[in-house]
Amino acid sequence: MGYVQAGYSIVLGLLFLYGIQLLWRRRRLNRAVARVGAAGATAPVRNADGPGVGRPSGGR
Amino acid sequence: MWRDSLLVAGKDLRIEARSRVGLSQVAPFGVVALVLFAFALGPDRAMMAKGAPGLFWVAVLFCTVLAVQRSVSVESVDGARDGLRLSGLDPAGQFLGKAAAVAVQLVVLEVVLGVGVVLLYGARIEVPWLIIVSCVLGTVGLAATGTLYGALSAGLRMRETLLPFLFLPIAAPVLLAGTRVWQAGLAGGTESFGSPWLRLLVVFDAIYVALGIVVFGPIQESV
Amino acid sequence: MSTNHSVPAPPVQSRRSRWTTRIIGITAVVTTAFTVWLGLWVTPPDQVQGDLVRLVYIHPGVAWVALYLAFALAALASLLYLWPRTRSLFWDRLAAAAVEVGVVFNVCTLISGSIWGKPTWGVWWAWDARLTSTAVLLVLFLGYLALRRVPAEPEVRAKRSAFVALFAAVDIPIVHFSVLWWKTLHQGATVLNANLSPTIHGSMAWTLLLGFVALTLVFVWMLLVRYRIGVLEDWLGTGELDVALRERQAEGAGLDEDEAA
Repeated sequence: MGYVQAGYSIVLGLLFLYGIQLLWRRRRLNRAVARVGAAGATAPVRNADGPGVGRPSGGR
Repeated sequence: MWRDSLLVAGKDLRIEARSRVGLSQVAPFGVVALVLFAFALGPDRAMMAKGAPGLFWVAVLFCTVLAVQRSVSVESVDGARDGLRLSGLDPAGQFLGKAAAVAVQLVVLEVVLGVGVVLLYGARIEVPWLIIVSCVLGTVGLAATGTLYGALSAGLRMRETLLPFLFLPIAAPVLLAGTRVWQAGLAGGTESFGSPWLRLLVVFDAIYVALGIVVFGPIQESV
Repeated sequence: MSTNHSVPAPPVQSRRSRWTTRIIGITAVVTTAFTVWLGLWVTPPDQVQGDLVRLVYIHPGVAWVALYLAFALAALASLLYLWPRTRSLFWDRLAAAAVEVGVVFNVCTLISGSIWGKPTWGVWWAWDARLTSTAVLLVLFLGYLALRRVPAEPEVRAKRSAFVALFAAVDIPIVHFSVLWWKTLHQGATVLNANLSPTIHGSMAWTLLLGFVALTLVFVWMLLVRYRIGVLEDWLGTGELDVALRERQAEGAGLDEDEAA
């Protein structure tokens, strides 16, 4: 019976731990996305041109 | 396609002939591997002779990794890869050419290693045609898959560690089959055991050469 | 002249999909718990194997998920990504999720199989076709994941990974048959056949079925969450870049205005 218990514990334990890890990763990413999204909404936006154009010497 | 493949093969082989990396580095590495295996298996000659087929093919596999790395790295300088892509050479031809160049180098290596195995491990070849055919078929398979994975990992900085890891499991059937055929072809083996494994090698080769011809172009476009 | 660039919208998950994931997760937990209860306590021990047979409620389940469900899904999704008409990063992310979850199930398969094998034949490992193919598949999966870690454009990474998955899909049957031949020239029965007692019936059969269902649900839930993680990670990879670029543009524009002044 020891083998059976070991088997069940290890398999279910692994699945459980991985599942928790997935949930934790998702939560962390959701928070990061919220932060970046908010920062993006409030960041000063001036140029209508594409990225990399806003150099001091001007890229027009 | 055939003309392009000859062009590419010729180019790769000429580079190899000039730099002689294969001869001066890869072949000695193979021999060193054989010596290390001998140390690992102990002084019992009978055991070494028994293990000779497997050890030969493992050494060949490792040398293939080196040969493929080399084949990929000759194009990583000076935008040569982009040059090839824009050259209008048929990608299928490029694949066949590069694989052929690798195959030629592998054949030379196998001769060296084969001699090494006979000398160092006391292996006795009884059925030469089995040995030769298995080497030819195995080489084709290894060259094809190696070139494919080389192309896949071409742009990567971590290629040195990734390529072996990705490629060797794919090459495992060649190792299995090649070893079995050699076991059949050496003293103490039964000749008839070799044939199903030769068939496996043929199937393996057909699949990966066909895959390479189809897929080499799209791979090159993306890396 | 200043115009507002809209920030690329963060990927919002619809309420329905969030709830689907949650419900599947809960169902998965419930069915798994039920399976464990049935498997460990309610079902009778086998005549031949005694209590060891209880492993049959989880080992074939995880094996089916790892070897068939996850692997086939990853291969199919990779193929669909490569096919020009169905090309979409959706398939790439799905394949990546399937492979990662598949790795976990694969490890579970090898461990549970090994634990079953030790008391049954006295060895932790047997070089039979099934086990060996499972191990090779694990290595191929890990290679896929290692390749994905290399930083690259999403499309480049997707294409590369898809090819690796494709080659792996071609290779696994070859490896399986090679090892099968390799072994059958020596000895007989494969692992699972010897153990799946043909007299399985009654409560054991139902529990076995439930085990399959439960583990499949676990896989689906993990797949959904992992897919979502992939979407978020990819967006962050470009989203942060966008914000940083915008901020830099703003700096540059500010300097321009100062110079002009």
